[in-house]
Amino acid sequence: MDKIKNNALVKKIGFNRLVLCCVLLLMYIVFAILSPTFLSYNRILSALNYSYFLGFLAIGVTFVIATGGIDFSIGPVMFAAALISGHLLTKSGVPLPVCLLVSVLVGVIYGVINGYLVAYCGLPSFITSMASMQMAKGAGSVFTKTQTISWPQAAEASGWYRNLVKFRTAGGVQIPTGLIILVIAMIIFSMILTKTKAGRYILCLGSNKEAVRLSGVNVKKWEMLAFVICGMCAGIAAIFFVGAYTTIQPGLGDTFNNEAIASCVMGGTSMSGGLASIGGSFIGVMIISLLQEGILAMGIQKDWQYVITGVIVLVAVTADIRSRRRKN
Amino acid sequence: MGEVILTMKGIDKSFPGVHALDHVDLEVRKGEVHALMGENGAGKSTLMKVLTGIYSKDEGTITYEGREIEFTNPREAQDAGIVIVHQELNMMGHLTVAQNIFIGREPMKGGLIDDGKMNEEARKLFGMLNIEIDPTEKMSRLTVGKQQMCEIAKAISHDAKVIVFDEPSAALTEAEIEELFKIIRDLRAKEMGIVYISHRMDEIKVITDRVTVMRDGGYVGTLVTAESTKDDIINMMVGRVIYEDPKTQSTVKPGAPVVLKVEHLNAGKMVQDVSFELHKGEILGFSGLMGAGRTETARALFGADPKESGEIYVNGEKVEIKTPMDAVKCGIGYLSEDRKRFGIVTAKTVAENTTMACLEEYMKGIFIDSRRENEVAQKYVDDLKTKTPGVDQLVVNLSGGNQQKVVIAKWLAKNCDILIFDEPTRGIDVGAKSEIYHLMNELVAEGKSIIMISSEMTEILRMSDRIVVMCEGKKTGEIDIAEATQENIMHAATLRK
Repeated sequence: MDKIKNNALVKKIGFNRLVLCCVLLLMYIVFAILSPTFLSYNRILSALNYSYFLGFLAIGVTFVIATGGIDFSIGPVMFAAALISGHLLTKSGVPLPVCLLVSVLVGVIYGVINGYLVAYCGLPSFITSMASMQMAKGAGSVFTKTQTISWPQAAEASGWYRNLVKFRTAGGVQIPTGLIILVIAMIIFSMILTKTKAGRYILCLGSNKEAVRLSGVNVKKWEMLAFVICGMCAGIAAIFFVGAYTTIQPGLGDTFNNEAIASCVMGGTSMSGGLASIGGSFIGVMIISLLQEGILAMGIQKDWQYVITGVIVLVAVTADIRSRRRKN
Repeated sequence: MGEVILTMKGIDKSFPGVHALDHVDLEVRKGEVHALMGENGAGKSTLMKVLTGIYSKDEGTITYEGREIEFTNPREAQDAGIVIVHQELNMMGHLTVAQNIFIGREPMKGGLIDDGKMNEEARKLFGMLNIEIDPTEKMSRLTVGKQQMCEIAKAISHDAKVIVFDEPSAALTEAEIEELFKIIRDLRAKEMGIVYISHRMDEIKVITDRVTVMRDGGYVGTLVTAESTKDDIINMMVGRVIYEDPKTQSTVKPGAPVVLKVEHLNAGKMVQDVSFELHKGEILGFSGLMGAGRTETARALFGADPKESGEIYVNGEKVEIKTPMDAVKCGIGYLSEDRKRFGIVTAKTVAENTTMACLEEYMKGIFIDSRRENEVAQKYVDDLKTKTPGVDQLVVNLSGGNQQKVVIAKWLAKNCDILIFDEPTRGIDVGAKSEIYHLMNELVAEGKSIIMISSEMTEILRMSDRIVVMCEGKKTGEIDIAEATQENIMHAATLRK
């Protein structure tokens, strides 16, 4: 066991993450055995559909968790962004590119509000994001007058945004463009987290904010930036949500918070801050997406998904804490 | 003095990188006040933590009431009758006095807490100690002195036979100390064994019967207080080794320019109208007792805490320092007394910590240039002789002295000309200590200027060119090294203005 753990390649990827990959593979095999239809290409596409928006939510919230904070508003913010921009698109006739920008902007605004309150006013992120979660839920409903919003279908006018998720060639082959975009985004955000000044300071202040402040670093700015990135990602996630499912109901979205945060934790991002991995979050997202699709495929009640997600999170966190305690 | 109640023999304890206790002995008799003395980091608190089961010992035996014991947690020690009155009070401010005293063992009636009985019991305890405190008062409304009395009452309520006072007088006023001593004498009369940890030499002579001295984690000896002089004890505390090399004369070049001038600095109770100058190439020592306001002065100067008023000049120019960012821009670096909390990010690497303050200089476009970052980190590892397997090592894995070097590297990498060293050798091995001293001397030789806050008299006398002494938030003396003695520094440090 130790021999595997000390292997250079294993160390580089991270032992826990390798274990996670094995879990993902194992889940796939189990679902394939239990449900014969699971191996079909459509099933895979469907599972991936779930991973795009969840992936962006998880990327964003990884930054906040890296600072030692938390953001419970991302799910409802994503819904609010999709509702507001969708309303503008379908009811007010605003051009699609503008609507997509509005969606991202709504996310950014929430990020700025959360970030300012946490970094500059010193409010606990737990409370701040709880409050803004409620505000986001309400804002989406108020804006659309509690109507369900249906974004246009692919064949309709202004339907091309769906190609961001899935591209159908002339020959009828479906290409998961969303996966390509998500992987590229993941690489970019991973580089931001590990290779830029912003990422460095976000991780360091998550470990020991006071020491970073006393080094003459503008900790407030960087802490706020983490929330802004998180909000922006929620705005992007909105585009991928409607790209996959088109229909949005007001007043929902909070279950996605938990799934996004669960993905991060599974991927080895520490809830106490300072330690984060976008790649890990990505694998976490894939596990949850596969899980929900598998449960759907097997025709089990959907709520089992929550139970299993909860168990996986507990196992992942326990394993994480134990391995860290052993190191100390 | 009665029979022996507690014997600790050959107690040995190591932490990664530090040999904290090296075969220490301690014997306490019934009806005795036994002083445990030593400089900061001598191992007094560690020894007491071993006694009460907070740490487990590596070697040695503890005999209590004739039986060999080993507690695994403070609760067991408490139940056996050994309690500590801590320096930092462990009180819950929003609970009442009685609730604090009986926490975890509240008298019950029919499944509910019997508040009436609890208050009654507390009142009895205070009666026994001859102190007047209302048990129904909220803890946070009491003065620090009264809170300490409550701690003592709590200790006695456990049927204590041995009470350890860990620097009880540090935060007390003169009158409160008098009251504390009265209580301690009462307890002594009741045949309790009392361990009294303190830095204040005067108190030791007044209140204690015997003195055990520790130095650098080792046992030096035990004296009968009445038969020994202050000097005897001081000599045992500091040893000969460090005395070899006190500075006799300032090494600052005559006419060296003033690089930092602080005028009428005010920041709360702990910093009142403090003014001083720092010259190029100078080590300006800040001496004083614990709680004299030296760290607070440094933090206010550095912008770490808000200041109320005062002017700061760097190289003759007036500067506004509101945050650490401003201070760093002025070329001031601050090495905190509490390295782990304020100095380093322990979960990050040596390289990451080295460039913490000057990361913008190691960028290539928007990305961090990790090759150059590692180079500069390696340069300072070599220059400062930091012992680390590599610059990618997590700082948490280094010893205290080497962690301190990483903090120094951080400020050198930022090219700070004014460095504030707050207790630079606290918690550092003797060997590493002299390396840090050597380093500081090299830095001033290169033209940097250092403010050194230190609670160790020997360190002050060995390193400083000039000494500022503080007491209770005020500057009470400024002494050139040529005229400085332990006595005149101590005199200024106890000068209550």
